[in-house]
Amino acid sequence: MSDHADPRNRRRIVVTGIGAVSPFGPGVDALWEGLAAGEERIRPVELFSTEGHRTRLAAEVPELPESLPAGLVLPRGSRPSRTDRFALHAAHEAWLMAGLPLPAPPEAGLFLGSSTGGMYEGEEAYWRLRRTGPERARTKPFAPQPNGTPADAVAHAFGLSGPVEALATACAASTMALEAALDSLRAGEVRVALAGGADGLCQTTFGGFNSLRAVDEAPARPFRADREGLSLGEGAGFLVLETEADAASRGARPLAVLAGAGSTCDAFHMTAPCPEGSGAARAMRVALADAGVSPGAVGFLHAHGSGTPHNDQAEAAAIRAVFGERAATLPVTSSKGAVGHTLGSCGSLEAVITVLCLIHGRVHPTPGGGVVDPEARVDLVLGDPRAIDDARPALSLNLAFGGANAALILRKGPEDPR
Amino acid sequence: MIRSVVVTGAGVVAAHGSGLPAFREALARGPLPLSDVPTEDGFHPPEDAPRAALVPPDVTKRWIEPLIARRMCLPSRLAVSAAIQATSEAGLAEPGDHVPDGDATAVCLGTAWGSISYTLRLLRQIEEAGPGSISPFLFTETVANAPAGQVAIRLGARGPNLTLTQREASGTAALVRGAALVASGRARRVLAGATDEISPILHSVLTRYGSLTRGDRARPFAADRDGFVVAEGAAVFLLETEEDAADRGATPLVRIVAWGRGNDPTASATDWGRGATGLARRVATELARADVPIDTIGRVVSGASGSRRGDELEARTAHALFDGSPPPVLAPKGLTGEYGGGFLASALGSLDDEVASPSVGAADPDLPVAPATGPLPPARRVLVTCTASAGPFAWLVLERP
Amino acid sequence: MDEANIRLRIKRILVESLALEGVEPEEIEDDTPLREELGLDSIDALELILGLEREFGVRIQGRGLGRETFTNVATLGAFVQQRLPESAASG
Repeated sequence: MSDHADPRNRRRIVVTGIGAVSPFGPGVDALWEGLAAGEERIRPVELFSTEGHRTRLAAEVPELPESLPAGLVLPRGSRPSRTDRFALHAAHEAWLMAGLPLPAPPEAGLFLGSSTGGMYEGEEAYWRLRRTGPERARTKPFAPQPNGTPADAVAHAFGLSGPVEALATACAASTMALEAALDSLRAGEVRVALAGGADGLCQTTFGGFNSLRAVDEAPARPFRADREGLSLGEGAGFLVLETEADAASRGARPLAVLAGAGSTCDAFHMTAPCPEGSGAARAMRVALADAGVSPGAVGFLHAHGSGTPHNDQAEAAAIRAVFGERAATLPVTSSKGAVGHTLGSCGSLEAVITVLCLIHGRVHPTPGGGVVDPEARVDLVLGDPRAIDDARPALSLNLAFGGANAALILRKGPEDPR
Repeated sequence: MIRSVVVTGAGVVAAHGSGLPAFREALARGPLPLSDVPTEDGFHPPEDAPRAALVPPDVTKRWIEPLIARRMCLPSRLAVSAAIQATSEAGLAEPGDHVPDGDATAVCLGTAWGSISYTLRLLRQIEEAGPGSISPFLFTETVANAPAGQVAIRLGARGPNLTLTQREASGTAALVRGAALVASGRARRVLAGATDEISPILHSVLTRYGSLTRGDRARPFAADRDGFVVAEGAAVFLLETEEDAADRGATPLVRIVAWGRGNDPTASATDWGRGATGLARRVATELARADVPIDTIGRVVSGASGSRRGDELEARTAHALFDGSPPPVLAPKGLTGEYGGGFLASALGSLDDEVASPSVGAADPDLPVAPATGPLPPARRVLVTCTASAGPFAWLVLERP
Repeated sequence: MDEANIRLRIKRILVESLALEGVEPEEIEDDTPLREELGLDSIDALELILGLEREFGVRIQGRGLGRETFTNVATLGAFVQQRLPESAASG
C-alpha cells in the first residue's frame, strides 16, 4: 500500500491516452489545432432559441456522428443524451490511444464528472409534457435525469466491472474525477483508470448563469481588464491513467505523468469565491505537495479563467499567493475564451489541453487581444502560442460553484522535477 | 500505511423526525411512517393514493435558523441538519459550530436525484415567464452539489468536497469514498452520507417504471415482492482515524475495515442487472487485499429493497460471495425505504445483538437467500452491500470497535 | 408615485423574494441595514433586482448598481425612483 503523504514512495501514474469532444469538433487534434491558432468557437446558440435569455452566445459541439464508436454497446432501448454521446466519443478516443481492449479488463475503473447529465433532453421532455396536458403526463413521463447517467452509459459501453465513481461537484467535477483516479491507482484499487467528464448545454444552465448575471454578451475575455463574464460551452475530456510499470509492461507509451492532485472547499459562499482566493491557493499547495513539486519549478499554469470579474480576481490573487514573485513571469492561459466554460467537463478537458501543451512544448494563447487586468498581475499568454520548457511540470486549476477548488500537476516525462 | 477509520458520530433526518436513537426506536416498532404524496400537479392518476416516507414539515427548524434555511433546498437542509448532529454527537463541536481544523475536514455526500423540486420550479419559471424570470437563488440550489457546499459553509469544512450521484448506491458509495479519504490521508476527517428528497414527479416516474410497491410496505426477498417504498431524508456520519478519536476521548460507534465499489455491466439504463458473479468477485478481491477473511463476517446487511430484480441481484451476490453459505442476511430497506440515508443509518446499528428485521411474508423460493428473522448469533463484523439500478455497486465491512 | 408607497412595496418584495418567513413588511424599518440585519448577500441582491424589475416595470442593468444601493430600503427606494419614467415619478 502506498502512503499518500510521501511522494517518493508512490507508484508513478502516467497518462497513456487522451480524448476530447469540444466546440472545435471531435478529437484532440481538432482541439489543439483550434487552440494553437488562437481561435474561438463562441457563437450564437443553435441548440435552442435564446429568445428571452439575456445573452445569445455559447460554444457548442458541432454535430457528432449518430452511431456509437466501434466496439461500444449500450443497453437495448437506451436513448443516450448529447452529454452521454460526448462522453462516449471522448472516452473511446482516449481508450484507443492507450491501446486497451474492449470490453475493458476487470481491473479497470471509471471516474467521471458531470454537472448537467441529460438535462437538455430532460427539460425538453418536461415542457413537451406540460404542453400535452396532465392526462398525457401520466403515461411514461420523462425520467428526471440523474447526474450519474453519463457514468452509467460509459460503464456499460466499456463493459466495466471495476469501481465506477460519478462526481457532481459542478465545475470541479472532472478535475476531482482525475484526483479520484489518481488515488485509486495509488491504492492499487484499479490497474487502469478511465477518468474525465462530460457536460452538454441546456436552458437551465444557460438561463441560470444569466440569472446570476455572470454571462458576457460577447465572447468571454479571461483576465482582461474589461472582462464582463463567462461564456458557456459544452464537451467532454478523458484521460487513461495507469501505473508507469503497467504501461511499460504493456508497451504503452506515456504521454505525460499525473504527478499530483489536491482539492479544497472555500466554505464561504455558494457562488462567489473567497476574494483572496485562499481556497484555490490551498488546493494548489496541496497538489504541489502531493506531487513533490515546488512552486518555483512549475513551467506554466492552465487557469480556470472563466472571465467573470470575481473568479479571475480571486484566482489571480491565489496564483500570486502561491507563486509570489514568480507569478509575474509564470505563463498563464485559459481555454474558456476559446471553448467556453464547459462546466462539469472543464477540469478534464483542460487536463487534456495541458497534456497537449506539454506534448507540443507550447502553451496555447487565450484568444483575442486586449489589455490584461493590471490588478491581476498574471503573465497571460496572448497572440501566439508561447514556447515552454517541457521538462517543467504544469498546474491546472478549477474553481467551482459551491466553493470547491481542485488542482492537478502534470509533467511530460518521468524525470525528477527538481 | 492505511489508517484505521472509525465512525464517531451520526445524524439522521427521516420520516420519524430527527436523531439516530429515535430512528432506531422507530425501526424497532416497524417501517417508517408513510404520508400522502401531494398530487395537485397532476402527475398521478386521480385513482392513485401515492404514499412515501416523507420527512415531517419543519423537521429541520431545530437545526437551522430561518434566515439561513431560506437559502437552502430541502436536500441541503436535511444534509446540514444531519451533519450538525454528527459533529455534535461525535463531541467534535457544539451543535452548529464550525469544526476545528476545518482545512482537514472533508465533505462527501451521495444523492440519487439531487434537488428535483427546485429544478422543476426553475423549469416552470422558464415555461411561464421566460428564462429572464429565473430566480438566481433557485438555480444555485438546483445543482446536485448544493447540499455538500451548504454543509461545508455551515460547519467550516474546507477540505475536499465531493458529491456522488450513483442512484440507489449513492450513500454507500459516499461512505466508501469518505473512508478512502481518511485512510489515504487526504482528509483528517470526513462528513460522509446521503441526502434525498422525494418530489411528486419522481414518485410518479418511479411508479410508471414499476419500481414502487403497490402495497403499504416493501417486502425484500419475498416471493410476492413488487417494488420498494421511497423515503426522503439525510444521514451523515463523522469518519476519522482511530488515533484522532482516541485523542479526543470519543467512542467509536463502528470501525470500517474494508470497502469497495464496482459496476454491473449487465444492467440496463434503468434497472438492476444480473451480474452477481462479477460483483461477488469484486468484493472477494478487495476483502483479500484488505486482509479481511470472509469467514469473519457474521452478518450481511443487504440493500435489497423489495425490487424484483434488485433483490435477486443482492441475494445471488451474497450467495456467490459466501460460496453458497451466507451468514444471516438483513434487509433494512424493508423498514427504512429506499433513498435518503435510512439504509446507512440502519447499517450503523447492525452489529448490535438486538437487530430489527422486518417480517416479510413467504420468502421467494427462487432466491438462494432468505432474510433473517428472530434472534441472531452475535457478530464481530458485518458486510453492507448496496447494488443499484443501471449498475453502480458499493459495499463496506463494519466491525465492532 | 410617492416615496412611502415605493418603500412599502419594496418591503413586500424583500419579504417575498428573499422568503423571509415570519417577517412582516411593516417590521422592516426604512433604515434597517439589509446586509447586517437580514443577511442580504449577492444572490439576494439579484433576486431583489428581479423582484423590483417585475414590480415597477423597470429594467435594472449593472451600471449604477453599487453596494450602497442595497444598504437599506431608503437607498433602494431612491434608486427605484430615479429609474421610473417621468410621468409615473410625478404622480
